Amino acid sequence: MIINPADFGYIVPYLILVITGLLLVLAEAFYKGKDRTALVSLAVAGALAGAIASVVLYRQVAPGARVTLFGEMLFADRTGYILSALFCVATALTALISPAHQREHEWQLGEYYGLLLLSASGMVMLAHAANLVTIFLGIETMSIAIYVMCAMRRRSRRGNEAAMKYFLIGAFATGFLMYGMALLYGAAGTSNLLRMQSALAATSNPGLVIAGGFLLVVAFGFKIAAVPFHMWAPDAYEGAPTPVTAFMAAAVKAAAVAAMMRLFGLALGGDLLPYGRLGWASPFVVIAAITITLGNISAIRQDNVKRMLAYSSISHGGVLLVGICSLGLGAVSANGSLIYYLIAYTLSTLGAFAVVIYVGSRGNERTLVDDWSGLASKHGGAALAMTVCLLSFGGMPPTGGFFGKFYVFKSAMEVYDGQLLWLVVIGILNSAISIFYYLRIVTAMYFKEPTTPFTPTKSGGLIFVMALCPLLVLEMGIMPGFWLKLVGG
Amino acid sequence: MQGQFILPLILGLPLLGAILVMCTPRAEASLHKGMGLGVTIITFLVSLLVLRYFNPREAGMQLVFDVEWIPGLGAHFKTGIDGISIFLVLLTTLIVPLTLLGTQKSIEKHSREFIAAILVLETGMLGAFVALDVFLFYVCWEVMLIPMYLLIGIWGGQRRLYASIKFVIYTMVGSLLMLVAIFYLYVQAGNVTGVYTTELDKLSQVALPQSAQFWCFAAFALAFAIKVPLFPLHTWLPDAHVEAPTAGSVILASVLLKFGIYGFLRFAMPLFPHGAAIWAPVIAILAVVGIIYGAFVAFAQDDVKKLVAYSSVSHMGFCALGIFALTAYGISGSIYAMLSHGLTTGGLFLGIGFLYERRHTRRLAEYGGIWKQMPIFAGLYLIIVMGSAGLPALSGFVGEFLTIMGTFNAGDTFPANFPNYLPYPRLLGALAATGVIFGAIYLLYMFQKVFFGKLDKSRNGHLKDLSGRELAVFIPLCLGIFLLGVFPRPFLRVMEPSVQKFMSDYRIRVQEPDGPAHKYGAMTPVEPMNPGAADAAPAAPTGGAQ
Repeated sequence: MIINPADFGYIVPYLILVITGLLLVLAEAFYKGKDRTALVSLAVAGALAGAIASVVLYRQVAPGARVTLFGEMLFADRTGYILSALFCVATALTALISPAHQREHEWQLGEYYGLLLLSASGMVMLAHAANLVTIFLGIETMSIAIYVMCAMRRRSRRGNEAAMKYFLIGAFATGFLMYGMALLYGAAGTSNLLRMQSALAATSNPGLVIAGGFLLVVAFGFKIAAVPFHMWAPDAYEGAPTPVTAFMAAAVKAAAVAAMMRLFGLALGGDLLPYGRLGWASPFVVIAAITITLGNISAIRQDNVKRMLAYSSISHGGVLLVGICSLGLGAVSANGSLIYYLIAYTLSTLGAFAVVIYVGSRGNERTLVDDWSGLASKHGGAALAMTVCLLSFGGMPPTGGFFGKFYVFKSAMEVYDGQLLWLVVIGILNSAISIFYYLRIVTAMYFKEPTTPFTPTKSGGLIFVMALCPLLVLEMGIMPGFWLKLVGG
Repeated sequence: MQGQFILPLILGLPLLGAILVMCTPRAEASLHKGMGLGVTIITFLVSLLVLRYFNPREAGMQLVFDVEWIPGLGAHFKTGIDGISIFLVLLTTLIVPLTLLGTQKSIEKHSREFIAAILVLETGMLGAFVALDVFLFYVCWEVMLIPMYLLIGIWGGQRRLYASIKFVIYTMVGSLLMLVAIFYLYVQAGNVTGVYTTELDKLSQVALPQSAQFWCFAAFALAFAIKVPLFPLHTWLPDAHVEAPTAGSVILASVLLKFGIYGFLRFAMPLFPHGAAIWAPVIAILAVVGIIYGAFVAFAQDDVKKLVAYSSVSHMGFCALGIFALTAYGISGSIYAMLSHGLTTGGLFLGIGFLYERRHTRRLAEYGGIWKQMPIFAGLYLIIVMGSAGLPALSGFVGEFLTIMGTFNAGDTFPANFPNYLPYPRLLGALAATGVIFGAIYLLYMFQKVFFGKLDKSRNGHLKDLSGRELAVFIPLCLGIFLLGVFPRPFLRVMEPSVQKFMSDYRIRVQEPDGPAHKYGAMTPVEPMNPGAADAAPAAPTGGAQ
């Protein structure tokens, strides 16, 4: 492998995250005192620096250009940089909402911030991955840190259960991933994503491609919690500390989608597999339809806000799968629509979980819907922020979530002259189901009488995120032109 | 042309007002109400400026304001009005301040949020009436949903949770299918013209294959039919009306229901003329069923609000029937009936609100002999009731008469093989006419139960007559009802050019031959199989858009 020293200039965001992450781990070791939440400022600074570096590099790369780095291990392109900027911002926002939760629920561990940034570095690698190897590395870097973060509350049984479940299933999924990659490599003779497509098309052994593609579908199905590989998600989301849940729902899912965009959009894109008209997308479209519907229907029955949001996140994974399908099947606007959706979804998720953190305090998380009764009368701002985020989830205009869904489904309509129309109908009708349970929370907050009064968790960072995310989500909905230009849609 | 700024201004004013109200302290209820009233009155006055710049002889869109909104999508912030929408806009800006004035006392909690919700609702409603971009229309359409949901859910009655969720889910399901149809149309039109845009006039130049029009129209029609509401999709309406606070009921009945009809006229029928032609008999028959069914059910109600709610089902059936008769009379009559329904039903609900504030019941059986206690109220209410029942010289008569006449003559204007031939137009017209009679029966029954008879309930003995504020609400409404009833000509003259244009556009489009998606008139005429016969069939109509 030839390493060009200039290549390091392209991965500055990654380097910043890794170095800050390592610094944080070191600082933790030398830190005196029990409360280590003060490390948050370094974590936020590192993540923001990563975001700024990504934006700068984004502007340096021409639209549509794709520079390959480190012997074609990584891409430097606009898609990669905008996604890495998104991951860095999500990391910074997660760091901002964490200290208050740590204080209120007594898990002031400093390693958390180091792990957070290291996990983010894995995501950035995924955003730029140009090779099966870098995809694997990115996923593992990201996931291993998350496994530990899930178990951060050592005395919490649910936390341990969540971490164990997540870890075992994640390890299992990694096996599928590895095996699928091996089969694809065997068929193509290369692990480079760009060259893989033509190599796979010319392969003499299509059985390997089908098997490999199928294993990858399963592996990523686990990663983004698509039905029927979703069983771990509600438990893991419920048991993990809320900031970690927010990070998992927002950034980890987005990073897995970023990897899929590379893998299924590039390497397996087009009419590659001789498997029905839609190639590998044939199982995917079915999985997407089932994921959207089942995620929503299961969410209706939930009384726990965190679980409800977990199921809602499963159904959003289904929408993202629709986007992945249309990307692989050659829809022009699919790439931009996916990124737009990820931005809107990540911001809404972080905003919603920030409110979840706000409502819980002093060891009591107050995640039952009934606990939220009458929130609007005492804490109007929090209720409003939650409402905006929930409406964005449900795809109501004028929020970013609406435009995200609009773009994703629009790109799905472009596939083969409306072949995916049925999927679009299912996806859009699901908005009506989803709005039903999102409005359950809104109903509780606004229409019901307050229960016992409580003191919410308050900190500057938390309030900032609670204000910023809904505002951005609204802005994305009212003036989406800027964002569209950004994602190249 | 002058005056482009007016429409964005009347959209922006209520929104600005909502933001300002949310910035005031929570406890200042009278400040909130004053601000709400002030903003809506200013909006009304500004909207009157429309009349100054509107040229009633012109058929097309006027006061068009157009800026690019989302470049990547081709969505425009494009607003404009024509003879069809101008009075609906004015009706909206008039009804909202009257509603606020009429319900000043009935809102006791969260007055700030209440005013903000009404103002956002007004922006959404006005936006949907003036939008000339499908995307903008859809956004405004959905923006209306949440404030109404909050109005029902926070300030509503006993079963408000059920009613509010039912309202949202019903409306959402319809509008989401409409969104799918918008997607389809958008992509197809973009493929044909090469320009991806959601502007209405560009989209309506594209003819979809007839099978696609069938489904797309069905999707739009579902959204609009739920809103109208057309039998059998009306079941959300009584619940929403009964549980909503007076202000919610008034706005729902006076303005929100109009979007169903308006959506058909502005979007569904121009975009999918063949779809409209195929579905017209179904919708017309459902409308007639709704007219009669609504009237019968209204007669059986004991709850005044429910009675008026079902009367809306009946009256809106006329409007739906009128547009699908596809005659100039029918369409003008339909628009006229919408205006009349907006004033009269708004008045009916406001009156019920006044009574409810005094007696805290809506049961007919609890009233009787109120005339002696509240003569002024009874007199004014009689005008409104008569206007609603369609007494000549009051507003309801003109619209219903025109609608029925248009339906009755539908067969004369179109030959029987014309694509949108309405089956049995005379029978439908005659059946609809019975709805007028039933309407008079249940409305007079209601009036009699409340105002006549013996004053035998002791709690009705000390009712105060209307206060000055309540008079200020009722008098403009009654004047409007008289005005619409006695001088229909000026109003109809403004509508006429636009209605004629709608009709001629529709005729041209609906004669377009079937084929893959293409621009109107761009299809080459079908080549005759036998070259020798070409001379025998000269100049087959190719669509006439040249």
